[in-house]
Amino acid sequence: MYRQGDVLIAPVEETAVPARAKAAASEPRDARGRLVLALGEVTGHAHAIPGPGRLVREPGPMGPLLLELPEGGRVVHEEHAPIALPKGWYRVVRQREYVPGAYRIVAD
Amino acid sequence: MNADTNHTTALDKWRAVAAATGPADRAAAEAGIRLAYRTAGLAEPARVLWADSPLAAVALVRGLTDPGRSVRDEVRTRPWAEERRRLHDTLGPAGWATHWQATGAGLWDLTRALAEQIRAGVTEAATAEGAGADPRTDVSGREAGETREAREVPEAREATAVRLVLLDAVLGQHDAAWLAAFDGRGERLAGLAAVAEHAGWWWPYENVAVVCERPVELHRDEAGRLDRGDGPALAYADGFALHAWRGMPVAADFLAGLAGLTPERIRAEENAELRRVMLEYYGYDRYLAVSGARHEHRDGTGVLWRVELADDEDVVMVEVVNSTPEPDGSHRTYWLRVPPSTRTAREGVAWTFGLSAEEYEPLVQT
Repeated sequence: MYRQGDVLIAPVEETAVPARAKAAASEPRDARGRLVLALGEVTGHAHAIPGPGRLVREPGPMGPLLLELPEGGRVVHEEHAPIALPKGWYRVVRQREYVPGAYRIVAD
Repeated sequence: MNADTNHTTALDKWRAVAAATGPADRAAAEAGIRLAYRTAGLAEPARVLWADSPLAAVALVRGLTDPGRSVRDEVRTRPWAEERRRLHDTLGPAGWATHWQATGAGLWDLTRALAEQIRAGVTEAATAEGAGADPRTDVSGREAGETREAREVPEAREATAVRLVLLDAVLGQHDAAWLAAFDGRGERLAGLAAVAEHAGWWWPYENVAVVCERPVELHRDEAGRLDRGDGPALAYADGFALHAWRGMPVAADFLAGLAGLTPERIRAEENAELRRVMLEYYGYDRYLAVSGARHEHRDGTGVLWRVELADDEDVVMVEVVNSTPEPDGSHRTYWLRVPPSTRTAREGVAWTFGLSAEEYEPLVQT
């Protein structure tokens, strides 16, 4: 389990990854060719994977985002130190904050 | 360049269009308007009139003597529906869903919420104006009973008239989600795209088009919601403005009062939503320090604090230290609010990631 600021990247056993997620197309890369795990709407700063891999949108308990790094990789951010990730599948979780009756995504 | 990169480039462009402020390129916008009419098989409008804000545009439209009928359907709605059907047939339902997810979906909620707030603001300001008040004065100040009674009927009539005019508007830059989905996919939307790129909302009628300038100020939080504590979050050149804190509309004078907040005033505020805004503005950390907050638990993940509020649920927060040092070597401390049932700091931090205290075990943190 790895944490970069407001994003948690938790390993998932490959056997637990739904077949439809394995077959699904990756989310598009950004203009710099990176997989964006979370984007700061205003600063434009992003938690992103520059190398090879796939990011799959998955509804339900595994989602919203599943990351596959067949060769391992690195998650980078403008304001946080990079983290090396071994090869495998990950669940990407964005930090949230409680507001009475609901919750909202934290701004990093 | 592959198709995915094209998507994100178009998305970046339309994200910027949706947030654009500053003077319109009037020549380019007018050329776009004329092109949109021609593409729809209509004669170009005899006149193009400019307004400084959607509020001013609504007044201008209502004062027109012979605009002709609204041609919004021909100019905007029909070509969009046909392009959507064409793309949907080409890509198939699943392909269309994927395409929408990669292009317009991310902009949809942001632009729709913004457009809704502008519509509500225009209706409120125009209604106050129609009843004799200045659009820039704070409408929440009109509380006196008899005046209010006397105004209610004409205000309702005004509000309906304004809403009808707003229904004829083409949202230009705030149609960015749809325009992103069709970017590079159809020449017939080129006129609409050009207006969106160079101006604000616009109204196409048979004989005249009314087009308004973009905002001069737009302030949003990380989630894209209108947000500013020391002035309007959205403002146009003529003074029409919206005030909001993290997306929640507030009155201008409420914001003006935030600078002089005291813990006593925060405690005395009866409206829970406004009190939340006050707490956020004042700073939870400051409030914790001065209000005798209970320091409830401490472990390796941080500190758990509890503030008891009269007639409201407790504010429970985890204080955590950012793992990555700031440029000066210090570590930024921040507070996250967690559910009032939280009992330990670890449980609180784990909750912010949707995990239980036992599940939360980061190996590396930066």
